[in-house]
Amino acid sequence: MRRSTWLLVAPSLLLPLALPAQTVQNATLRRARQAFDNLDYRQALTAGQASLRERLTGFERARAYELLGFTYSGMDSILKAVDAFKQVVLIEPERELDPNRTSPKALSAFQVALTQILVVRQLRVDSVQFIGGQGAVGIRYTVTQPSRVVTRITGGSIAGMRIDSTVANGQVNLRWPARLPSGDPVPAGNYNVVVEATVGQNNFSASQAIRLEHGRVDTLPHLTSLPGYTYLPETEVPPKSWKPMGLALVYTGVALAGTSALSNGDLGSTSLREGGAIGAGIVVAGFIMTLRKPAPQPARGNILYNQLLREQIARRNTEIAQENTRRRQQVALSVVPISRAGVGR
Amino acid sequence: MTERRYDGMTACITVSVLVALSVLPSFRLSAQHVSLGPQIAFGDYKEVSSNLHYRGTGIAAKATLTWKKLSADVLLSKLKYKPSSDATVTNEFDASEVDLRLRYYITGPISGELGFIRRKADPEFEAQSVGAVTAGARMAYLLGPGVRMALSGGLLFGSKFSGGGSTGALGALHLGLGISVDALRGRVQVTGDYGFQRFSRETDDGSGAVPAPIQQSVGRVGFAITF
Repeated sequence: MRRSTWLLVAPSLLLPLALPAQTVQNATLRRARQAFDNLDYRQALTAGQASLRERLTGFERARAYELLGFTYSGMDSILKAVDAFKQVVLIEPERELDPNRTSPKALSAFQVALTQILVVRQLRVDSVQFIGGQGAVGIRYTVTQPSRVVTRITGGSIAGMRIDSTVANGQVNLRWPARLPSGDPVPAGNYNVVVEATVGQNNFSASQAIRLEHGRVDTLPHLTSLPGYTYLPETEVPPKSWKPMGLALVYTGVALAGTSALSNGDLGSTSLREGGAIGAGIVVAGFIMTLRKPAPQPARGNILYNQLLREQIARRNTEIAQENTRRRQQVALSVVPISRAGVGR
Repeated sequence: MTERRYDGMTACITVSVLVALSVLPSFRLSAQHVSLGPQIAFGDYKEVSSNLHYRGTGIAAKATLTWKKLSADVLLSKLKYKPSSDATVTNEFDASEVDLRLRYYITGPISGELGFIRRKADPEFEAQSVGAVTAGARMAYLLGPGVRMALSGGLLFGSKFSGGGSTGALGALHLGLGISVDALRGRVQVTGDYGFQRFSRETDDGSGAVPAPIQQSVGRVGFAITF
């Protein structure tokens, strides 16, 4: 790509200089940015360096170095660009450049700058809720150089509890169970997650404030039925039959035949008037019972099924009661990050 | 004289049982069933030969107590027997009977029965007063909701007659048929019972054994209140 083309493209690629929220108040720095926007790199360089000699806020100082980095990148002074970006990262370790809106040269210089200084970036603590002893808090950070990294929890009633110590480079993922050395849950309160990286004489630390709250663990409701299983009727109406009529006839017949057979022959003809009257009543009752809807009979299979179902539900409820007893003794821990990561040196 | 005292004692015990059953509070009977009620009775009585043939009507009362596998029936009846049209006798008599049965459920429809009967004729010499111990079995079947029928039979041991005589080991027996229908949600039962008794009695006046059989058929219809 020809130099003239670069000059046309560069301002648009360097636009990430325009940062939201805070604004640049320093006049010299504003003049430097104006010169950079007009592709007057020499003027931008002179004004930018002059602004650094003035009283600037941290934000303005970071913008001034960033402007110098972009300017040096545009002027192909990569080493100086790297030095400028190193200052940016030291002031704002979380600073990221948008790869879609930044020139490759500036991006490359920024990445080189990151590898040449020791910072802990992108410290994140997950917002999470879990039962004490059954979960952990996710902690992530990125360290830019191979170093010994110690992660501690400070604040509240804890005087610096170390939760991790490792030699790391790049992104690191931690899981903190939020328990004291005794095994008890960490008391509720506000804490800081402090990540301190050390290599040789250099060290860098980043922290993230978190709020840890205690709550009650939800208990399980008792079951009244098992999903997909319903009680079956314990009685069933048998199909109509002539059995009542038949048995009434048999009983009556036996009684009358017995009377006739057992009668003494010396006493003349047998009187069946009394037996006949009662027997007729029984036969009529049997006939009516035959016509009537039969009485429900116990359904043994259904009774056993219902008994098994009741036993299953009772057993499950016993387990739930035990589980609830255990849960009432547990603590639900809720961890919430309070603000963005802070920086220290 | 001794027999009169025996009759009085039997009646006294029976009445005492009935009164006790009727006055017991219902909560005391929660584990048992009691039914008690009156009946109209009609019967046929024959003795010695077909010439001594009576028919009669009267009243009866029946009480039933059921507790677990045990149950008891107490029956009191009094019938006025009149000579039937084919009889050669002209005098009528009253027959007062006490029938007590203790029953124990065995299996299926089968129960075992043990009890005694006591029937007294008044005037004393118009018919035989009789007493015996009963032993037998009963089959019961549920015809439908609240409708039960039962068939019973057994032997009458140790028969005693006011006019003397005796029966063989298998010479006296009884047969029964009964039905009960629940009404008014089981608070009332409509009852019907049939009872047949035969005594193959023999007397001996010194000239050898002479057959003098006794036979009675009684039907009873009534109702009972259940507790």
